[in-house]
Amino acid sequence: MDELQMIREAYGEPAPPTMREMTEARARMSGETRRGRARSGWRLKAGLGVVAVGAAAAAGIATVGSGSPAPPSSRLDLGKQAVLAAAEKAEKQPTGKYWFTDHVTGQSYMMRPKTGSYAIVGAHDEYFSWTGVKTGLGEGFFGRSLPARPLTRQDEAAWRRAGSPSKFRVWSNDHYYTYDRGKTGWEVDDPDPKGGGAFYLNGRKMTVAEIQNLPSDPDALAKLLFTRTAERGVPDRRAKRLDMSKPDVKLRVAADALENTPLPPRVRAGLMRALTEQPGIRSLGAATDPLGRRGVALAADQDPTTVDREYGAPAEEQGTYRVRSELIFNPATGELLSDQEVLTEPGGPYRDRRPGFVVNYWIVRASGWTNTLPRPAAELPF
Amino acid sequence: MTGEPLTADPPRSGSPGRTDHSAVLRTSLQDPERFGDIFDAYFAEIHGYAAKRLGPDAASDIAAQTFLEAFRRRDRYDASRAGVRTWLYGIATNVIGRHRRSEVRGLRARARLGPVQDEGGHADRVDARVSAQGLRGRLAGALAELSDGERDVLLLVALADLGHEEVAAALGIPYGTVGSRLSRARRKVREALGGTNPMREVEDDHG
Repeated sequence: MDELQMIREAYGEPAPPTMREMTEARARMSGETRRGRARSGWRLKAGLGVVAVGAAAAAGIATVGSGSPAPPSSRLDLGKQAVLAAAEKAEKQPTGKYWFTDHVTGQSYMMRPKTGSYAIVGAHDEYFSWTGVKTGLGEGFFGRSLPARPLTRQDEAAWRRAGSPSKFRVWSNDHYYTYDRGKTGWEVDDPDPKGGGAFYLNGRKMTVAEIQNLPSDPDALAKLLFTRTAERGVPDRRAKRLDMSKPDVKLRVAADALENTPLPPRVRAGLMRALTEQPGIRSLGAATDPLGRRGVALAADQDPTTVDREYGAPAEEQGTYRVRSELIFNPATGELLSDQEVLTEPGGPYRDRRPGFVVNYWIVRASGWTNTLPRPAAELPF
Repeated sequence: MTGEPLTADPPRSGSPGRTDHSAVLRTSLQDPERFGDIFDAYFAEIHGYAAKRLGPDAASDIAAQTFLEAFRRRDRYDASRAGVRTWLYGIATNVIGRHRRSEVRGLRARARLGPVQDEGGHADRVDARVSAQGLRGRLAGALAELSDGERDVLLLVALADLGHEEVAAALGIPYGTVGSRLSRARRKVREALGGTNPMREVEDDHG
């Protein structure tokens, strides 16, 4: 073996870009194609959000093992029935002139003062975007930082015992970062009054008409979304690594579609039905999202995540834990409420947390069609 | 083999059925949307290269920035100098260059993970163990100590599989400089690993 070969093997093969990364990078570039100007800032940050948030994607964290997905449930599953009932409701919603979506993202970090450890939500941002139904109706993208906050009531009590600090110095992937209680107002990212009419589904640019014409048949949708496309230029050897047979990857892809494209209700319903049919995706029954909204949830286990010292993580952050991906739907409308990762096997940085601990969230605070120009809400979500 | 007429070289990067991306790029001057084909063809690859050098978090930003800059500069692309893939690696290398300190810091941290212990095995087995353990120890340390130019050349050859001519075109440096940087870089890496593998000392430099 020569040096070049050794170097090649030592660097290994990193995980391929996520759908969200590709979608946002392409949107950023396409923003340029449409108007010859850069679009960056909040829009880019939104694209990077979940990458930073997604624990397995974080530097210094290696995904180990590849547990085989759980067998499909053959029994009558009341939780899945609830999701299917929600899917029916999803079929009955009208469209409008503008589509908007309001997302809140956050990542849990551990504080470990002598008075007792607690979790805070950092990287806490809100994104608001709207897009005209037709090209020429315009589009806009807004972002703001939200205050870091203790995650739960128990965390808040521990935070108070620690003297209610306003700054939180936490380990983040490969460095310490200090989050604080500060917030920013809404900042606008390069609005495009001539834009609109285009969305990105699974990395592919689509008009509203094309989205309206998507199939609603669960099998057709599964085929469309849950197969990795080599013809889109992703080299085969990398395509293999984004393993579409994994149930958590399917949830991730479906969440991307539900969060970023105005899927007509019948397509949304079809996609939810498709999810319930995937092996390894199970229902959790009733669930409550981080905003306290009641819903019905689907979940899929991820492979265990190990944090080692490779990127310099301190001892208290090292170790192995496991999370599940979880999508919570509004039972009345079938809309996605939250896309989150929830601890199932404590360990590593989360060794003193309980199963059910929310490791990160990507909440859809509001989303839908309207006939008046959408504006982001002034009030804070938390 | 004898008596056959000399024919033109086959297209360098022309795997069968692959679109000629130089032509696509030319078209994108008039029709910017066509640049999307180039994005589709190379984004994952450039992202992978960035992820290897700077980790997955930074890779997102680097890959997005690379394609944004490529799009902006597409009118300056010269198909006679480099293929589109090579050209993209050149831009990516520039963008990665803005993260040099972070790359070197990362390599030094990995160097501290400690050398691979020599159990006196066969040279190839030792090498295999060095690489199977990933980027750490002496190998990472050696890469950290290279000059920026040497590291760029070495990694474009080792990780991006570019030939000498392509590296020269990507980085805008003379062909001869590629060869000298590469052989210096390889020698330094070899020397750094020498302790784990004495066999290396006597091997010729093929760089």
